[in-house]
Amino acid sequence: MRSFLETIAALLFGILIGAVIMALWGRDPWASYAALFQGAWGNARALASTLSRSLPLVLTGLTFAVGVRAGLFNIGAQGQMLVGAVTALSVGLLALPPGIHLALALAFAGIAGMIWALPVALLKLLRGVSEVISTIMLNWVAHWLTLFLVVRKLSDPVRGERTFQVPLSMRFPVIQGELTWALVISLLASLFLYWFLWHHAKGYEIRASGLNPRAAKAAGISVPRSLLWAILLGGVCAAWAGAIQVLGRFPYAITSDLANLGNLGFDGIAVALIGRNHPLGVLAGAFFFGTLATGAARMGLRGIPIDMIQIVQGVIVVSMAAPEAFRMFRLRQRKGEK
Amino acid sequence: MNNLIEARKITKVYADGTVALRNVDFSVRPGEVMGLLGENGAGKTTLTKILSGLLSPTAGTILWKGRPVRFSSPREALLAGIGMVHQHFALVGPFSGVENIALGAEGGPLLAPVQIKRIRAKVEEIMKNTGLQAPLDVPVEDLPVGVQQRIEILKVLFREVELLILDEPTAVLTPQEVDELFVVLRNLANSGKSVVFITHKLREVLAVADRITVLRRGELVGVRNAKETSVEELAQLMVGREISAVRKREAPTLGPEVLRVQDLVVPGLGGELSVRGVSFSVHAGEIFGIAGIQGNGQTELVEALVGLRPWKGCVELNGQSLAGLGPGEIAALGLAHIPEDRHGMGLILDMSVAENSIAGRLSAFRGLFGRLCWSNIFRFAQELIERFSIQARGPRTPARSLSGGNQQKLIVGRELSKSPKLLIANQPTRGLDIAATQFIRELLLRLRDEGMAILLISADLDEIFELADRVAVMYRGTFTGILPAEELDREKVGLLMGGLTLEEARG
Repeated sequence: MRSFLETIAALLFGILIGAVIMALWGRDPWASYAALFQGAWGNARALASTLSRSLPLVLTGLTFAVGVRAGLFNIGAQGQMLVGAVTALSVGLLALPPGIHLALALAFAGIAGMIWALPVALLKLLRGVSEVISTIMLNWVAHWLTLFLVVRKLSDPVRGERTFQVPLSMRFPVIQGELTWALVISLLASLFLYWFLWHHAKGYEIRASGLNPRAAKAAGISVPRSLLWAILLGGVCAAWAGAIQVLGRFPYAITSDLANLGNLGFDGIAVALIGRNHPLGVLAGAFFFGTLATGAARMGLRGIPIDMIQIVQGVIVVSMAAPEAFRMFRLRQRKGEK
Repeated sequence: MNNLIEARKITKVYADGTVALRNVDFSVRPGEVMGLLGENGAGKTTLTKILSGLLSPTAGTILWKGRPVRFSSPREALLAGIGMVHQHFALVGPFSGVENIALGAEGGPLLAPVQIKRIRAKVEEIMKNTGLQAPLDVPVEDLPVGVQQRIEILKVLFREVELLILDEPTAVLTPQEVDELFVVLRNLANSGKSVVFITHKLREVLAVADRITVLRRGELVGVRNAKETSVEELAQLMVGREISAVRKREAPTLGPEVLRVQDLVVPGLGGELSVRGVSFSVHAGEIFGIAGIQGNGQTELVEALVGLRPWKGCVELNGQSLAGLGPGEIAALGLAHIPEDRHGMGLILDMSVAENSIAGRLSAFRGLFGRLCWSNIFRFAQELIERFSIQARGPRTPARSLSGGNQQKLIVGRELSKSPKLLIANQPTRGLDIAATQFIRELLLRLRDEGMAILLISADLDEIFELADRVAVMYRGTFTGILPAEELDREKVGLLMGGLTLEEARG
């Protein structure tokens, strides 16, 4: 309850600062914010668009959140997301019946995500390499590898600006407008992780390892195994974020500049922080992020320059992520003192 | 006689609403040693933190030499002439004694040789006058704790304080070192300085103090002249009820050997050996005590036995070798462990009482597909709360919000619920109030009578004397002696704790 109020206060604070910035540049903050929320929630189509943009963020947010629960600072979602996207796309080279094709694409993407996350776990557990370092490096490897595959191997012979589109048999069916049944993946992943962390023995061990590794070890919990689980589960989630972005959203391909995959992985960090690193909170965080993304378009129509929109978005996001980031920092400090 | 410092009607309410002090009056005369006595949580440390400028009182006034003062930082108090030596020293490990003393008082470039020379001369004079001897040129991290403490005291005296406050100074000392410290404090008082000596050990406060102020639950319960009071009266003041006399114990009825340790060697950090070849055994129905000043290898010994640290030698639990086993596997063989570091190792403070109650026994609460049966867990936690009278609002309360005594009861309850063959209790009552201490000690004795094998590690000699049937004294990684209960006496154990062998101690 307290953290909920804290988040609301942070939101209002961020909105206020954003308003001040806009007012200073001679724009009407009220009209701009009205445009933002109308653009995001104003009608069914807008809402569908907002939800659609939120879905992959739920998954990358979960990656980070599960990591934090295990005491990790796992910022590898970006790379795992790219690998998942390109793997799912590649499954489109096969010809299979609908449904099965989609399931297979998700399965392969998930496995690819785990494979991409595995070195992070191995390096940490066997060699003591910080997951921050290894994930940053693997993110870059994934970036260039994906770019190479997208431009050189998977590009559409006719349309140079993107890869081939995934076959219809592999696409998520549309619910309304931009929103597809990829919704189920994000919802289930979030609900599952909540159940797993709080109602499953393994999840308990992961949280214990994250909160107090010494006590966990003394209680007979294998801390390395907990970290391995958290990293691999995170890999699956992040990879699915990439997969549903390709299989569940126009253009059903990867653009040659990777723009439609964007910073989904990194944005997941902020989403997780807004959602207090709780699987269900992540849902709210992602929805909020989606709101800002969709609403920004409408703000743009109002003649607000894109730079200012981004500044306002940034201010709000930072403000909302700050309380949890601060809490994590303090937890880390406390652990360091022991 | 005029008071050097006088605190009137001091009240301190912390931000979370805890009332740490309520209308407490406290005064110290020039040239006296004032003992400040009370259980943990009685408000001793809060009071001295207020006197030394670390905290400001919510209400009340402080008179320093008759004039009202309000210190906003320890620095101001120090300049006025009030210095405090905290339980945790503030020394720079690689610096020598004189450098540590000089730090912040150089009055010129940092640690400039000229200044150091001047400072050394003054420190040597202080050492001569007070009898407080310490090597000044050795890096302090290479010195024993007792000597480090002297440097801390010298550091404060160097600032020419008139009131010296010592927070539980004897917790880390051997009995001999305690005696030496008391001589120093007496000298200081004779030279006109005042000393406030915080403790919860009755014997010590009677040995050194002129007057004794007793606090209980944040309130002043009495001021006594040391010459006119007794251990019994002070104890009564402290706890507010007669503490039950030490239970007369019957001789143990020894069962089979439960734990056998032979030539145990445990490497510490940096390649040095922390435990150098220790052998002993613990039988069912006895309490085997390990006494010794902290830091002589007890921690490493315990961590090796419970599987948290690699070791060499031979350790058998019920005839089964523990070589190569992890903490979970060893626990499954019937070992329960009350760790010395309650917060770091015993509990996960950010988890609830219920979640903590199942640490190490998940398998008992696992359902289909590894699902946790929360209804069973809550029922179990509620049971623990009732059986061990843990003061908690309920199973969902975070462990962090419990008091130290209740946290320890939670750990003890959890460990005993594993129905172990061997219980290792490492400093089980450290930092607990008298009621909780009594609870745990009585519990250990009852378990012994019921036939459990108990390995008790404690730096508190009273505890060892009260509980143990046989006592080993640990010094620098070895046992200097193993004594049966009949042969125990305070002086002998003290000498063994200081490194003498049994023969030397007997002679």
